[in-house]
Amino acid sequence: MNSAASATTQDQAAPSWRSRVIGFIAIGEVGVIAALVLLVAFFYFVQPAFLSERNIRAILNVVSFVGIIAIGQTILLVNGEFDLSVGSVAGLSAVVAAKLMTAVALPVPVAVLGGVGVGALVGLINGLIVVKFRIPAFIQTLGMLFIGQGLIQLVTAGYPVYPLPPEVSAIGTTSLAFGLGWSFAFFIVAAIVADFALRRTVLGRNMYATGGNQEVARLVGINTSLYKIGAFVTVGALAAVAGMFVMADLSSGGTSIGSGWELTVIAGVVVGGVSLFGGAGTVAGGVVGILMLKVVQSGLVVIGVNSNWQQIAVGVIMVLAVGLDILRRRYFTVGAGARGAKKATPNKSAS
Amino acid sequence: MQQAADTQYVIEARGITKSFGGVQALRGINFAVRAGDIHALLGQNGAGKSTLVKILNGVHRAGSYGGSIAIAGQPASFASPAEATAHGVGYVPQEIEVLEQLSVAENVFAGHTGLGQGVIFYRRKLEERTREIFDDLGLDIDPRAIVALLTSAQRHLVMIARALALRPRVLMLDEPTASLSGTEVDSLFGVLRRLRAQGVTMIYITHRLPEVLAVCDSATVLRDGQVAAEIAREDFDEERFIFAMSGQKLSRLFPQHVAPVGAPTVLEVRHLTVPGQPGAIHGARDISFSVAGGEIVGLAGLLGSGRSEILHGIYGRVPATGEILVDGLPATIRSPRDARAVGIALLTEDRKRDGLLFNLPIGANITIGNLEPLSRHGTVSGERERGAVLESMRALNIKASSPQAPVAHLSGGNQQKLLFARVLMRAPRVLLLDEPTKGVDAATRLEIYRLVVELAQKGVALVVVASELEEIVGLCDRVLTVADGRIVDEFRRGEGGEDRVLRAAAAAQARNQTSALSGVSP
Repeated sequence: MNSAASATTQDQAAPSWRSRVIGFIAIGEVGVIAALVLLVAFFYFVQPAFLSERNIRAILNVVSFVGIIAIGQTILLVNGEFDLSVGSVAGLSAVVAAKLMTAVALPVPVAVLGGVGVGALVGLINGLIVVKFRIPAFIQTLGMLFIGQGLIQLVTAGYPVYPLPPEVSAIGTTSLAFGLGWSFAFFIVAAIVADFALRRTVLGRNMYATGGNQEVARLVGINTSLYKIGAFVTVGALAAVAGMFVMADLSSGGTSIGSGWELTVIAGVVVGGVSLFGGAGTVAGGVVGILMLKVVQSGLVVIGVNSNWQQIAVGVIMVLAVGLDILRRRYFTVGAGARGAKKATPNKSAS
Repeated sequence: MQQAADTQYVIEARGITKSFGGVQALRGINFAVRAGDIHALLGQNGAGKSTLVKILNGVHRAGSYGGSIAIAGQPASFASPAEATAHGVGYVPQEIEVLEQLSVAENVFAGHTGLGQGVIFYRRKLEERTREIFDDLGLDIDPRAIVALLTSAQRHLVMIARALALRPRVLMLDEPTASLSGTEVDSLFGVLRRLRAQGVTMIYITHRLPEVLAVCDSATVLRDGQVAAEIAREDFDEERFIFAMSGQKLSRLFPQHVAPVGAPTVLEVRHLTVPGQPGAIHGARDISFSVAGGEIVGLAGLLGSGRSEILHGIYGRVPATGEILVDGLPATIRSPRDARAVGIALLTEDRKRDGLLFNLPIGANITIGNLEPLSRHGTVSGERERGAVLESMRALNIKASSPQAPVAHLSGGNQQKLLFARVLMRAPRVLLLDEPTKGVDAATRLEIYRLVVELAQKGVALVVVASELEEIVGLCDRVLTVADGRIVDEFRRGEGGEDRVLRAAAAAQARNQTSALSGVSP
């Protein structure tokens, strides 16, 4: 009793070294950052061209598109749900915006807002159906993936929308620094804002509670429905923004924009320590996870590995990462599981 | 001679002791059941019934307890429930565990062998055997029916049939009426009498007196891990049972508290009706009571009586109708959020399921839902949060290595105190406590009692639900006994004890089961 009391007093001055270490490991980004550094070093060692300016730029450019969605997906996963329709939504928003600025001849900013609006609307529909009708997110968003793909074909009749107004191409080709453009800038700013929101704000804390145990969150007065729906809208809007940037990059409203991204995004954030079970993970982790996947893909190309092996590598890495995540969770929830069982039994059995 | 004396018992346990950690759950139990009897195993929650049952059916394996078991005079030790089953100990658990998508016959024989060759089983044979079992039971349940379509009473009978399919020497029924209505209880009793007539020996585990009086031939009453009484049919008497179950325990544990006289009413509940939820039979019907500032009111009653539902209804956790007034002002409560806004707080019963957030560290678990005063412009101030957390950890004596440590690393008592810290952060006017000392060690239990009394002295209105009658009677200024979703009795401190609660609950149950009781003669 005394030792515990003194430990508490010690903590009062500053969080103890031990607690800092626990907190550091608990964040879960440490492992993935270490793995990232090792991988980069490995690829550079095998093929120094891996760290050429051109290759770094190419990796970061791709990461910026998928990364914007990963931010939204991380927020949604923290809230205990996930969205498989993000790729479709990105594509749908892009072709809708492209049509608005060509066929309807709306000013570019209005058309872009329209596209983002479509993404947010799809997110709202997903959220309402999952929360209000209790349809599992897996089913609802998988359905939306197909609906989105169908709508893309309907909107475009199967042909890419181009030429687009020159302002659009200008957004895509502008180089702000190091050959990176607006998409990268947006990605970085959004990531920093979202990471801060999850880590430090009341909003973020309530999201972790919602994803950790929805009933507990509700009992402490958190409007969990609103949080979940809000997270679906956020991921929809961010997917739309990503679609818009790809459109600008291609100078065309291509019908294949976003195709297949949903799995890349989920694989990436999961590798970065974001839990599929909800309530754990950070935006920084999710983003680093995406970066790591892209580094592996690019690195394997650069050192000349057959492209089929890249897919295999992505699969293996994801399973490994989730395995580690589960081990970490087990450590943090021992009370509910293995190690706590000994302590829990007497109380239960005595009744 | 010795041999002959022993073998009249189908199952016999001698000197059974069992402890969990430092807690002695059973202290030398002798328990024996004569062939052909329905033998009642009675006791309050925590008396040791479940532990004894788990030893007899092999859940607690041989070697983890002291004492010996004999089946039909032969020493037996079970390493697993399967071994107990093989020795003829049949067990029907309290919770219904069925395979919903399979037929009745498939459920009855699920996991049993001997009705097929290798992996192939004969559906026809299964169904025939099942029909025979149901015929023996005098029941008309179609062996081909899909279990998902059966009522919970029928499912329970399927589970009994499942245990009988193995032709056990002794059949243990764990709280078999927990999820049954009055008429269903009747028909269950019919089945049990029929089985007895066929020579099946049964152990009937319950805390409901009227049922024991209705169907049992002999009884063993447990209290505090010991046998408090062994009573034969001819000596059956309600008073005798109540005395044996409640005993004469001294309530020196409880801190002195006198409810303030003439204090204004803080919480008033009028005509609260909570519909029964899936899984719970009763909700609560037309509940009215009030709690003054500084008063501790206990809701006593058996498991499933509706006492927790009353708390959930007040807190807006489940939909409910009726009026709730706090400090004389009507409150519209549709969600926990609304309840919190008017100063009501709830400590839930199940820490692991409805209390702790295992994904967040200790500190965040305390402050969750109370972050507004610790933040500026929506951003949590790390310093203020840490200060608040350390303050409440100190105030409640929560022992942890650090506020950043995972909650899973805390002991049960400290986890419970953490949840108290969470609800107290908002300085509630009304505090609803559902089993506040469930699964905590003795020292923490005392701390919690002291805390409850301290809160009352500060003028908080407290409502306590607890299974342990000793706790309710010792802690509360006023006790409301709940049975079948209604308040059936009310008394102030000193006007009654555990026996009064048991008697009121038993009387209410008896009223509900008059038909069952009319067929007392065995």
